[in-house]
Amino acid sequence: MASKAYDKSFREEVYENVDSGEEIKLCMQCGVCGITCPLRDEMTYGPRQIWSLIRAGKREEVMNCSDIMLCTSCYACKVRCPRGVKVIDVMHGLARYALRQGIVPRKETSKFGKVFWDCIAKTGRIDETDVPMRYTMTAGPIHGIFNALEMMDIGRALLSHKRMKFKVAPGVPPAKKIKGIRGLKKMLKKAAAMSPGKES
Amino acid sequence: MAKKYACYLCKGCGIGEALDFDNLQEVASESGMGEAKAHEALCSPEGLALIKADVDGGANALLIGACSARVKTDEFTFGKEVLVERASLREQTVYCTEAGEEAAADRQMLAADYLRISATKLQKMELPVPFQLEQPAEKAILVVGGGVAGLNAALAAAKAGAKVYLVEKEDALGGFLGKMAKLGPQSPPYQELQDTGLEDLVGQVQGNGNIEVFIGNTVAKTEGAPGNFTVSLSGGQSLRAGAVIQATGWTPYPPEKLADELAYGSSPNIITNVQMEERAKAGDLGGLNAVAFIQCAGSRDANHLPYCSAVCCLVSLKQAMYVKQANPEAAVYVIYKDIRTPGQSEEVYRQAQREGVIFIRRGEEYPKISDHGGKFTVETADVTLNDTVAIEELDLVVLATGMKPNNPKVVEPPLVALGMDQEEAKRLTAEAKAQSDDWSVLNLAYRQGKNLPTLKYAYPDSHFICFPYETRRTGIYAAGTVRRPMRVTQAIEDATGAALKAIQATTAAAAGFAVHPRSGDESFPEFFMQRCTQCKRCTEECPFGAINEDEKANPLPNPTRCRRCGVCMGACPERIISFKNYSVDMIGAMIKSIEVPEEDEEKPRVIVLACENDALPAIDMAAKAGAKWSPFIRFLPLRCLGSVNLVWIADALSSGIDGILLFGCKRGDDYQCHFIKGSELANVRMSKISETLDRLVLESDRVRVEEIGFGEVDKIPGIIAEFMETIESVGPNPYKGF
Repeated sequence: MASKAYDKSFREEVYENVDSGEEIKLCMQCGVCGITCPLRDEMTYGPRQIWSLIRAGKREEVMNCSDIMLCTSCYACKVRCPRGVKVIDVMHGLARYALRQGIVPRKETSKFGKVFWDCIAKTGRIDETDVPMRYTMTAGPIHGIFNALEMMDIGRALLSHKRMKFKVAPGVPPAKKIKGIRGLKKMLKKAAAMSPGKES
Repeated sequence: MAKKYACYLCKGCGIGEALDFDNLQEVASESGMGEAKAHEALCSPEGLALIKADVDGGANALLIGACSARVKTDEFTFGKEVLVERASLREQTVYCTEAGEEAAADRQMLAADYLRISATKLQKMELPVPFQLEQPAEKAILVVGGGVAGLNAALAAAKAGAKVYLVEKEDALGGFLGKMAKLGPQSPPYQELQDTGLEDLVGQVQGNGNIEVFIGNTVAKTEGAPGNFTVSLSGGQSLRAGAVIQATGWTPYPPEKLADELAYGSSPNIITNVQMEERAKAGDLGGLNAVAFIQCAGSRDANHLPYCSAVCCLVSLKQAMYVKQANPEAAVYVIYKDIRTPGQSEEVYRQAQREGVIFIRRGEEYPKISDHGGKFTVETADVTLNDTVAIEELDLVVLATGMKPNNPKVVEPPLVALGMDQEEAKRLTAEAKAQSDDWSVLNLAYRQGKNLPTLKYAYPDSHFICFPYETRRTGIYAAGTVRRPMRVTQAIEDATGAALKAIQATTAAAAGFAVHPRSGDESFPEFFMQRCTQCKRCTEECPFGAINEDEKANPLPNPTRCRRCGVCMGACPERIISFKNYSVDMIGAMIKSIEVPEEDEEKPRVIVLACENDALPAIDMAAKAGAKWSPFIRFLPLRCLGSVNLVWIADALSSGIDGILLFGCKRGDDYQCHFIKGSELANVRMSKISETLDRLVLESDRVRVEEIGFGEVDKIPGIIAEFMETIESVGPNPYKGF
């Protein structure tokens, strides 16, 4: 007996609920996306095969696969796709859909995304030293300190050049807010209301 | 015709510096061409005016020593009444030999020989007189088959003004188009299924005053030749037609043969694409929740149809859309080897994907189909998942089977059977006959058989790339799916092409010239019947079945069927077949006119009998590109290598020529010969020449056949150099000086 049976329910779920989910209908399995991806060595399947798995109805494989959270939005695949499939949009859509379902396919990405988003949402800008420091500490106090110690040499150099402020405390705004922060917050609120799920 | 000779020599393009013109004028005069006129550039207005003045003064047989006969053809044509022969002093003399004083003597002898050869040719040839049929040529066109190709061919021909007879075996026009529910998308944006448009098409045909339709009829007998076919129908009518278009379409590959691989016949819900179309036409597509299409069912498979039928992918896309449009919730799977959607059809593929059809790429292996109480499971390799997958709960499985031409298969015995041991030849012939189909579409009253010769897979092909629509019977054209698998739009295009070809054929038959590939040639083979020995070689070897036979095996030529290749001329042991401007005697005399130096001069002579279709252009191109070869070579252009008569070999060797090369086209399964069998025949004939050479106490190394393709320009100097070495090692021809 075959190890996998085709099941249409998952693909219909994806078409229905995932941002740009219907895009994958047009994939002709040429594999250009997979071979173009700079992270191909990190991926278990790559975009092409993820689409194939969705069509076959392999919910578990897709939703728990870290591939859908590895995308760095470099756009190489989307540029090259002969069928014009918005590969990145689907990848992010899948990641968001997984999070909405309470599935975290890749913890690191999820945590980094949260820190990154908080920084933007609160200040309207990215503080390039603050975000990594906060991300380092997401591993918890003990692991965070071990992680930080590993980075000690870089940290010392950055401090001596006054490139890094030494303060990480909850509630302390990481960087100076942009001027129109109130307007930005309004925009984000409106965008979140338009999104199919709540933002992650 | 009383000939008045005139000879012109061109000094342009470096010929003037390379050759001694006083000597050439002397040679021309000795060869009976009178006083040759030299000019700095014959193709210039002044040069042409010089010739024109003489033509106006009555000169009607012109020898022009200048560039190759393949160039400046318009300039050096002076009307139908003037014979022109061109000696290639540029490409085959000056360009291809070493320059300078040292080589001057050999180069001069080469040029002189070309003048002698051309002078002899001019003296031996006559103006062709076009052949005329006894009755005025008929221009009506018979179209056999009333499907999409036949209907369109009839319409195209009728619109061009020809009378058309359309014969259809069924009781209604339409063929397979009539069995279709819808057509796939045919026009931009290639997303919507379309109506077949059959009613409109049939209406146009029936409303056209030039078209006479015979439904419920087949062709009982086709006699005669282009311009004069007499066609008897099964219904008793007799028609006279000038050309025939066979548009008999296709038959589905028999699905019973797929019973083992794809469980065909085990359930009424495992059907072919043809049956699916019937169901769609009957509106019987309700209640389908899951359907699988299996592509390449018996196609691209050595055990079934080895070829791709080119339409099954599109048909399945269309039928998948039928299912989706009847029930958008249905799960539709297409299990394919490769989706082949050339050109705009890719848009159809996309549309099917948009509608949610799922495509699964299988490997070479067929999927396994199992029946679970009326619901099927298809188990297949899924190449893109690198796994084996199962598709369950299917209501219907559609096998995308391919197309077979609706044309009887003809297998010819191999040519080596010619002249071999009689028993063996009979056995090979019987074997070939056993593999051939016994039924017929046109029932030709031809000596070579009632069917169109076929190449691979029963398609009545002549030369797929160069000569579409041409069958190997002149004036009979194939259009539509009987020619190759194709879809409706292509069949319409094909039909138009074939209709125009058929009109050309009737026009040519009326005017008395060859239609193809020697288009416009007014010469034709004439038989000196008093000396015929009824050996049947000409009737058997003609690649186009042009020659019939009477009860006593006398050849009955049909000049309007003839393509003027001269294969009959090469076949005839009595040498009784000649054209007005091409004959055994003429080429023999040309060979004998070459001056052969004494043995002690150590200047061998080699002649190259070269096919003028492919080899000669290649030679010219090589010379033009700067290739050099031995000045001891003399090229003689031939209509086809198949016209080489063995007596020329004897003529050449007995007059002291040291070696003979034959340059012909590629032969074999993917032959390039314009006359199909010419190159192959020459090869078979030459393989039997050792006997003759033994009789003359000569080495068989002196004669060699080479295949030269049009593009194989770079091969030529090497082949010549190697042959010259062989000739040197064999030594001079002992017949020199006799």
